[in-house]
Amino acid sequence: MTEAMQNEIKESILTEKDIRTAYFRWYNYCEISNSYERMQTVAFCYAISGILKKLYPVKEEFKAALQRHLNFFNSQGIWGSSLLGVAAALEEEKALGKEISDETIINVKTGLMGPMAGIGDTIDWGTWKPLFFSIAASFSINGGIAGFFICFLFALVPFLEGWYLTRLGYRLGRDAISRLLEGGWIKQLIMGSGILGLFMVGALTASNVTLQIPIAFTMGGTETTIQTILDSILPGLVPLALVLGIYTYFRTKGQKFGRVVFFLLALCMVGSLIGLF
Amino acid sequence: MNLAVAIFAGLWFWFVSGCWGYTFHYVLKQPLVMALPFGILMGDIPTAMIIGATIELVYVGMISPGANIPADECFAGVISIPLALLAGADPETAVVLAVPFGLLGTFLDQLRRTVNARWAHLADKYAANGDEKGLFRCAFTYPLAAGFVMRFPVVFVAVYFGSGALERLLSYLPEWVMHGISVTGGVLPALGFAILLFVIGQKMLLPFFFIGFFAVKYLGINTMAAAVFGVCIALLVVLISNQNKQELIAALGSGDSDDDDE
Repeated sequence: MTEAMQNEIKESILTEKDIRTAYFRWYNYCEISNSYERMQTVAFCYAISGILKKLYPVKEEFKAALQRHLNFFNSQGIWGSSLLGVAAALEEEKALGKEISDETIINVKTGLMGPMAGIGDTIDWGTWKPLFFSIAASFSINGGIAGFFICFLFALVPFLEGWYLTRLGYRLGRDAISRLLEGGWIKQLIMGSGILGLFMVGALTASNVTLQIPIAFTMGGTETTIQTILDSILPGLVPLALVLGIYTYFRTKGQKFGRVVFFLLALCMVGSLIGLF
Repeated sequence: MNLAVAIFAGLWFWFVSGCWGYTFHYVLKQPLVMALPFGILMGDIPTAMIIGATIELVYVGMISPGANIPADECFAGVISIPLALLAGADPETAVVLAVPFGLLGTFLDQLRRTVNARWAHLADKYAANGDEKGLFRCAFTYPLAAGFVMRFPVVFVAVYFGSGALERLLSYLPEWVMHGISVTGGVLPALGFAILLFVIGQKMLLPFFFIGFFAVKYLGINTMAAAVFGVCIALLVVLISNQNKQELIAALGSGDSDDDDE
């Protein structure tokens, strides 16, 4: 995908190793110092600090560079790492004497961190996570240890993904990354992982959400339960309604996880007390 | 053995919740993953894995898209797995135990992110002095050190003193409370899956959610089969929708140079 760029003769100070070090730092530390105030910014600044030190031998320039990477930054760790690559490319150009303002570098990061997080949430958290962990659980539900090892796919796959994206960001630079977001293959990727993710979420809802209404009564001389009737209409009707109900709530009221947790807890406890569930 | 288990649980929770490695720490957070070391330590690997996998399934859909975490599966697992093993409890009881701790754990994460703001201020100072080592301490050493104080003691105490208290508590709690928590364990996954729907669910693609749901309900396929069919369906749809779009191939082939020539 980057042949065209490689053909250009690119003056460079940074080596592959510098980019790798920055990515390792970012992958390892991006959540450790996460704070409500500036989220992942300390980690971003530390991750790129080695690169900045190499690019700006003059101490004053180095200090200024560090400070411009301490603005608010919050993205997703894997897809956000492409911005580490972009920032490294921009800083390199700046150090080589091109006209790149501080605002440009800050704006690129701030402008793209949201879209990148959206893609990363869909692919890594929305698809890989439930996929790997649910398969792992199905391998260990009878006591085997295979699930333990399968879980580590979630460490490995996104790690490699992020390494690829960091290099991609560095090589393509800011304009190409912006265009990439609008281009064809990212959309296809999001659609494909969305389909797989939704299919899995449906399957997992069916097998893991359980809510029974075992109230018994007599109808036409035979004893039956509400659950039996519901099952005869549509199997899994209650869990399905529950998931779709919460989903609709999020869509209309926003991500209020705490309220839903409290509501579910109250619902189950009261339901248990009055013998509904 | 109690002491060793409690120390291990506390250290595991501290280290893992320190978030070292973006997805790596997240793997270690999983009840299913911590079940193996607990099983080895306590001499019952199969039971530990069953309990771990059962708790895992409650949290398999829980993600936190830029917001606070809805539940902390690590806090849930690190306390309930050893206590359930010590008490010889069945997996369902372990889930009953895990659910309340999973909810309480979210407060610890909020505390962490609040305290961490302090290091961002320190980092400002170090950056102004061009102090790279200081930045490293703000990004790594200080948050982890503070995390130890916030995390180790609470888990250590809960596991070390918990097993005796747990048996008494379980005998005192009325049946409907136990049953209510158990029902919550069955319902809580719904929250996770609703979050996933919210994050990845483009409206146009929602039918695939129903296909997956009824494939399990009517055809009875298992998780692995669902993954296989899911991948096939995703590929099929993407490939068909691209049959006439050469730009995908072009984009995959040569990156950024081709977006203008349609």
